[in-house]
Amino acid sequence: MTDVQTAEVDPPWEGLTGAELHAACMHAAREGDRQAMARLVDELTPLVWHVARANGLDRSVAEDVVQTVWLALFSQLGKLRDPKALAAWLITTTRREATHPHGRRMQPVPLSDEVAEAMPSTQPAPEDEAVRADRDRRVWRAFVRLPHRCQELLRLTVLAGRAEYQLVAEALRMPRGSVGPTRGRCLDQMRDLLASEGGSR
Amino acid sequence: MNDVGVPGGMASADDEILLADIGRLFDELDPVPGDLVQRVQFALALEDLDVEVARWERLDTLAGVRGSGTGTITFTVSDLTVMINLTKIGKQHRIDGWLVPAGQYGVEVRVAEHGTSSTTADEGGRFVLDNVPRGTTQILVHLGDVSCRRTIVTPTVVL
Repeated sequence: MTDVQTAEVDPPWEGLTGAELHAACMHAAREGDRQAMARLVDELTPLVWHVARANGLDRSVAEDVVQTVWLALFSQLGKLRDPKALAAWLITTTRREATHPHGRRMQPVPLSDEVAEAMPSTQPAPEDEAVRADRDRRVWRAFVRLPHRCQELLRLTVLAGRAEYQLVAEALRMPRGSVGPTRGRCLDQMRDLLASEGGSR
Repeated sequence: MNDVGVPGGMASADDEILLADIGRLFDELDPVPGDLVQRVQFALALEDLDVEVARWERLDTLAGVRGSGTGTITFTVSDLTVMINLTKIGKQHRIDGWLVPAGQYGVEVRVAEHGTSSTTADEGGRFVLDNVPRGTTQILVHLGDVSCRRTIVTPTVVL
């Protein structure tokens, strides 16, 4: 029913952003509109990705989980009536997939160093570049040593601060206002890790 | 994001700096893979989205299979296990599969930009697909009869 009109008429979510965009896309997707689904996938795949990564999955497993979560969403879209619940649903489902007992979770080690090691440290760089790269490496190492819960909360906090992820901010407000203090403790813990590695901060 | 409001006298500006660092680092060091959205879109390009999603199992092994074109991989969903043995023949694959519990179910293999190969498992649950192109691959198994039809799909994987 949808393909016919796409060429000439703008989809109903054209020009919308944030929560309104997601609500319009969810509505159309429930009617079987593939374009609407594609738009949601475009918009929100980074959210699912970051939750998967924060929960200890290596990059290739995270890719599987992202797909699983989207397939799961669209195969049961009728059950999710409230578009406001979309972000929370994506976060919860991703978390559940990530911690699925069937050996899903890889060893905790690869996540820690995999990415930091991939940093271009051997390239010739001006002195301040090298200093910055060194600090970046330390910050990242400290970050991936945080408990998964903290990693997830901090990744989501960063996303929530970006205009297009307003719905993440809403999802973060949901668990009874405990986010602020928890986030503070996570950041403190990260500073401790940084300090124990020896360095400027 | 500015109302972190952390108790204990820590300056919030400090938090902001650290959060900005984290944001910059995950954009730089841990970006969403460039083709991921595309692979999700391919995985979703099914006629009927009333499906159950299987999990790839033994991912340590799968990691070795990805891209190398040879090996055994397994995926499961509630009550079905599918084992796939891949043999690389030139630029294509031969797929030997085994469904447990056994049944004469329809099996489809979708490869991005190459269409679909399909077959039916024998009574023992075994099936063979020859000349399957390599690439972003998704496997579907159709269970049950007309009255109670279920479709199992996997996430895509690059084989």
